[in-house]
Amino acid sequence: MRFFLSISSCIVTLAASAVAFAMEPPLPMDQAFRMEARRNGADVAIRWQLEDGYYLYRDYLSATGADGKRVEIATPAGVIKEDPGYGSTEVYYGTATATIAGPITGSLKVTYQGCQDGGLCYPPTTVDIDPAALAPISNSELAAPPIALQSQAAFPLVSKAVTEPADSPGIRISDQSSNGIVGSLLDRGGVLLLLAGFLGLGVLLAFTPCVFPMYPILAATLSREGESLSAGRGFVLSSTYVLSLAAAFSLFGVIAAGWGQSFQIALQSSAATLVVAAIFVALALSSFGLFELQLPSFLRNRLAARRGSGGSLASSAALGFSSALVIGPCVTAPLAGALLYIAQTGDVVLGATALFALGVGKGIPLILMGTFGSGLLSRAGQWMERVRQVFGFLFLATAVWLLDRLLPAGTGLLLWSILAITFAVFIGAFDEMRPEADGAARLAKSAGMLAGLYGVILGIGGLSGATDPLKPLATITVARSGDATTTKAIGKDLFQSAASTSELSSLLAADGGGTPSLVYFTADWCVTCRVIERSVFPDPTVANALDGVRLISVDLSEINEANQSLMKELQVVGPPTMLFLDGNNNEIAHSRLVGEITADTVTKSASAAKSPP
Amino acid sequence: MITRRNLLAVTTGTAAFAAVLPRIAFSQEITEKTVFHDPDAPVLGNPAGDVTVVEFFDYQCPYCKKIHPMLEKVVREDGNVRLVLKDWPVSGGASIFAAQAVLGAAQIGKYEPAMGALMKTTGKLTEEAVEKALTGAGLTMKEIAAAVNEHSAKISGLLDRNYSQALAFNFAGTPSFVIGRTTFAGVLDEKGLKEAIAEARAA
Repeated sequence: MRFFLSISSCIVTLAASAVAFAMEPPLPMDQAFRMEARRNGADVAIRWQLEDGYYLYRDYLSATGADGKRVEIATPAGVIKEDPGYGSTEVYYGTATATIAGPITGSLKVTYQGCQDGGLCYPPTTVDIDPAALAPISNSELAAPPIALQSQAAFPLVSKAVTEPADSPGIRISDQSSNGIVGSLLDRGGVLLLLAGFLGLGVLLAFTPCVFPMYPILAATLSREGESLSAGRGFVLSSTYVLSLAAAFSLFGVIAAGWGQSFQIALQSSAATLVVAAIFVALALSSFGLFELQLPSFLRNRLAARRGSGGSLASSAALGFSSALVIGPCVTAPLAGALLYIAQTGDVVLGATALFALGVGKGIPLILMGTFGSGLLSRAGQWMERVRQVFGFLFLATAVWLLDRLLPAGTGLLLWSILAITFAVFIGAFDEMRPEADGAARLAKSAGMLAGLYGVILGIGGLSGATDPLKPLATITVARSGDATTTKAIGKDLFQSAASTSELSSLLAADGGGTPSLVYFTADWCVTCRVIERSVFPDPTVANALDGVRLISVDLSEINEANQSLMKELQVVGPPTMLFLDGNNNEIAHSRLVGEITADTVTKSASAAKSPP
Repeated sequence: MITRRNLLAVTTGTAAFAAVLPRIAFSQEITEKTVFHDPDAPVLGNPAGDVTVVEFFDYQCPYCKKIHPMLEKVVREDGNVRLVLKDWPVSGGASIFAAQAVLGAAQIGKYEPAMGALMKTTGKLTEEAVEKALTGAGLTMKEIAAAVNEHSAKISGLLDRNYSQALAFNFAGTPSFVIGRTTFAGVLDEKGLKEAIAEARAA
């Protein structure tokens, strides 16, 4: 038997192979890992698009400069892959990114290595990149294994450093940063403790700024019942509201986790905000008696034991559902924990149940208010009309609050001004008051006058460029007081801002390392962030604790691809989130703060970052 | 005499050549003899077997190590297969170091214990890890370094030929197989391997 395997016949037999593969035949490397490099300011940003079922090793990503010396390459945290034959390695699926901070002179060589999952491991590949040309050159090299022929017994001495992985200046996030809530509750007491825990956390969160708007909304809903409102009815309606809120909340959570945590961002989209604002305007108009919000009559007849009952149940449910859109973007530690848990384990049911419990917890005080407060609301006649009108304004206020973030700066203040003055007119601030008027009428008039005055001030503030309804005269007073402020308080202006992974890594690398850092994710629309900026940062103990800590903020007011990928890399669910990094840019275990942040917690985490264990 | 440190320098030196040298491998003749019967390549299984299974592999390739027990089992159960493991150290210095060390051990009659010890390692390898695995198998780095030093031309030549052949076959990475007239890129499972052997035997 004579046979001669020529190169070409081998390639033919490779293609014609009839024997089944254990899995799909591996792709050529340049198809499995499609690499592109782009210039990002002075930096070079590299991105690999990985075919499904292929991964790249984080540790093997490295770069050398024109002088042959190793260049720092920043890479995000990957997924830990446990392989019985290979131990645990950190890898990327889907996409991988790396940033080489500028300025870069000359060309770069970037080396990467990956595998077909369960099939084949490719040799490391080195690609030349000319940063000036903004594109990887010599693409043909992608296909060629770069390992040279073994040296012919000549043993040149070359520094060992060549084959060592780069020290990444990227942030290494802590495994126990904030996602341990679900896991640790589960470990300690199973599903029951998890649900009880989330219910309890929900109750604690019920008295935070994000949940505050729920109280007037529910009260307004109940007031629409008029005279028929009883404690029992109040209980039924508020429970419906809360259950629907919790259901929506957990539904959004699941979608959020499924979409890679970006759903809360979607909730901040203009369209979603407009829809919800429109709902509140409609409710307001209905409260003013302009029309009745009710279900179609055939449904109403079927559902309703009493007049309007089914309709109002359905509308509380709808309102509860839309209210979840208002609290949805408010990130809290348990919410972040549950979202990350779903994203990491894929256990949608458990994650959703935990979120439902959290939502119900937030609603328990609402149910109590609805049940025991109902007696106060339900009085016949003129009083009820008034109450409904007041709540109508509360609905409008919610709508303005929502719209404020979509409008150009200052316009929101004008809307508030219009609302306050109109409220003043409606409540009777400018009506003639008879001498025999009772106390209630006088109180109403003074409330109206105050609202009118506030409205005027808001108008002036808005026209002079102020943006904060609580500080309408800020621009005027600052202009007059000049630069008199020399207090040590931490202000937003002390933060360097980073908008992308590469910006963040270059800020972190700015002084050659060694400085601990605080990375603060915030946004204009983040209510809790305002609270932190107003009451936590100015605290002198916080200023002391943050002394010597590099302050970096990431503004998420406008979500784009760059900051979204940064969030994903750092497992940040949304604002407010604070990451504390030691001098080597490693996140300190248990130091991450999410949601309700106090001076105390900031001080603790900051000290941990300054003197890591 | 080659010491462990020297050996190390060798390995990284070859890696550094990497991008510089063109693919001169194509000029080499690929024949049944050179692929299946390289005189310097250790043979496992039944040396007189009627089918040869060639695996191009790397001691740092997780899937090579994972399927190795299965591969040995199939070869043993068949009883009439020659198994040639061709070192194709593609993953850098530690891989080359490991390949050289095992081929050095082969020169003093310790191929199977050395290869077996490295196939049992997990994780990314370092020179220290390779050394630890080999000493765990009853070898000393002193005797291995001596053998590598003495037979360096032979070992380098074999690694060169393996490398050229892998490129000539257009293999993308490790593991890759040549069984009979057919090549396989990536992992073979037990069924696939047995079928490939049966097909090669029938041809």
